[in-house]
Amino acid sequence: MIVGAWICLLAPLGGALAITLLGPWISRRVAGYISTLTTFLAFAGALVAFFGLWSRDADDREHLSTAYTWLAAGDFQVGFEILVDPLSAVMMLVVSGVGGLIVWYSMGYMAGDEEERRFFAYMSLFVFSMLLLVQAGNFLLLLVGWGLVGLASYLLIGFWHRRPEAVAAAKKAFIVNAVGDATFALAIVLLIWSTGTLELLGVFAEVDGLSNTTVNLIALGLLGGAVAKSAQIPLHTWLPDAMEGPTPVSALIHAATMVTAGVYLLVRAHPIFEAAPDIQSLAAILGAVTLLVAGLVALVQWDIKRVIAYSTMSQIGYMFLGAGIGAYGFAIFHLMTHAFFKALLFLAAGVVIHHLNDEQDIRRMGGLKTALPRTHVAFFIGTVALVGLPPFAGFWSKDAIIASALARGDALGWTLFVACLLGVLLTGAYSFRLYFAVFQGKPQEAAAQQAHAHERRGEGPLSMLVPVGVLAVLAAIGGLLSIPGVWHPFTHWVEETGEPLVEATARQDYLVSAISVALGIVGLLLARRAFLRDRQLVTAPTAWRIFEHKFYFDELYDALFHRRAAGLSHALRRRVEEPVIERSLNEIGSGTILASDGLARAQSGLLRTYALAIAVSVSVLIVVFVAVR
Amino acid sequence: MSGPGVGWYLIVAAALFGIGSLGVMLRRSPLVVLLSLEIMLNGANLALIAFARQHGSLDGQIFALAVMAVAAAEVAIGLGLIVAMARRDMPLDVDQASALRG
Repeated sequence: MIVGAWICLLAPLGGALAITLLGPWISRRVAGYISTLTTFLAFAGALVAFFGLWSRDADDREHLSTAYTWLAAGDFQVGFEILVDPLSAVMMLVVSGVGGLIVWYSMGYMAGDEEERRFFAYMSLFVFSMLLLVQAGNFLLLLVGWGLVGLASYLLIGFWHRRPEAVAAAKKAFIVNAVGDATFALAIVLLIWSTGTLELLGVFAEVDGLSNTTVNLIALGLLGGAVAKSAQIPLHTWLPDAMEGPTPVSALIHAATMVTAGVYLLVRAHPIFEAAPDIQSLAAILGAVTLLVAGLVALVQWDIKRVIAYSTMSQIGYMFLGAGIGAYGFAIFHLMTHAFFKALLFLAAGVVIHHLNDEQDIRRMGGLKTALPRTHVAFFIGTVALVGLPPFAGFWSKDAIIASALARGDALGWTLFVACLLGVLLTGAYSFRLYFAVFQGKPQEAAAQQAHAHERRGEGPLSMLVPVGVLAVLAAIGGLLSIPGVWHPFTHWVEETGEPLVEATARQDYLVSAISVALGIVGLLLARRAFLRDRQLVTAPTAWRIFEHKFYFDELYDALFHRRAAGLSHALRRRVEEPVIERSLNEIGSGTILASDGLARAQSGLLRTYALAIAVSVSVLIVVFVAVR
Repeated sequence: MSGPGVGWYLIVAAALFGIGSLGVMLRRSPLVVLLSLEIMLNGANLALIAFARQHGSLDGQIFALAVMAVAAAEVAIGLGLIVAMARRDMPLDVDQASALRG
């Protein structure tokens, strides 16, 4: 079982190293195969670990395996160790399983790109980093995985490095994430200072003994990291821009796995957050705000990938909300189903973009139902799973979170509940707006141009269609792992790691399901009505402008940070750099020239003058020596 | 030890050194400059030998012998240079041989 976990962790690293070291000796295709096979090998390892854990008793499901002591400073030791427990086993399965499908898909999507090998090496590196993140047995290793994931994300967003927008987006993602990494690192320093250990289980055992302020600060630091990585308000601005990367990257990193790392951290570190209930509520509130803001912004976006990106933010908002109110099992459940249907949506969108020769503007799409029948079905399944209509995956997981908010009962719970329901309405509206704009109606010019090309090459290579099909099946049936009032194998499994703080009754569950399905359908009908009348969902021009500018977050940060910093450095340049440093350098130069001009005159070439100079100097020296003595 | 005291020797040595150095600084003919250098060296030698006698050790005398050997070598090179200058019809004037002016 432990061996399986280690294989799961190291196989993608081996793949990345092999592709990097073999370099041009292997063909681009082979690089794709290596990456895909190692990721599936990791999935096999995860399966072994999972079933090994499954066969144990419930109280024997936390296994720490240390490879070696990595750092040691006196009593303080950090090992290279992995923790295999129900939560990490689920995350391993999701990351390597969905990751494997997406890497496989990218063999078709990236075929013919000039730098395919580099791409697959990065993909493998990313899968390894994410697995390290979810398997880490201590906070330092978790931070290592956290940082590596950020690095891989930076490399992959900026993969098309000849496009200035891609490079800018990569830098933005890296910088915003660095803010979160910094608060995370500060929390770790606080943990070392206050508990003297970084091992997850050791820290959790000592949390109760810490002072209130310390716990709050630690939880706040961890939350900062989670917010940045999971693109929640206020550190969310990088995610929509990250769509500049290749579509499989958007699917893998910015939908299925990396952005859910924050949710994983909230659930993993739940004893710390439970000791700091204010911060935990803050996480839930941030999630609620994000899910509303992202839902509103998604209503007016024109780029197919950006719409899906905002819906990702919004769905992760639900997960944050779930983890924030203590419904850990449902948060992870939604994480998993979201990985299925969001990866499906992105990959189906990738088929569309591929089909239209890299066209991403939904105003130039439409009527693709006939050209791409299978993709249409897959996208439709993804959309209804996202909106949460039964029996598709999102229905079971999202409604469970909303019901937990209702079960919480107090004022915060009711507020979150209302926010969730509004979010469902928005989800229905923007998802179906996208669906109608892309697949229904009359074919637009871009689509028509491709009609004849399509005759030749079908919907895409098999390596693209099979993963989409598998994900479509998963998105359709993945939710059946937890049915309220009937059975809960999945959530019970995860809740062995984190006991839930709230539990909805079956009646609340059914009530919430009825309301949210109704709201989802209202959203659908609104989108359909707007589509049929050829109007937009948002008609008020002020609202439209606000949404289009994404609530002016970019402008705000620009004014708050970028312009201040730019102004300061500009002033420093004018006041210090130019007058002091540059001029002083010039003067050192001209002074040296002047001095050497004077000295050169002393070298007259007259032998007798030299002799005189020597005689005079020696006399002076003699006088000095005699006088000093 | 008989004869004049070391002071007299030093006076003669200083006089020789001074005459020599004035010759080096004032005369323009390279031949005379070379001669004046020899006078300076011999002034120094005289002082060395005088001190050696006063202290009753041979170090100073051996040093003087070494200086003479060096002086011989120096004269050989200096005369060689002067002969070479004369062969090329260069003026025998140290002030005009100033090609190394900075």
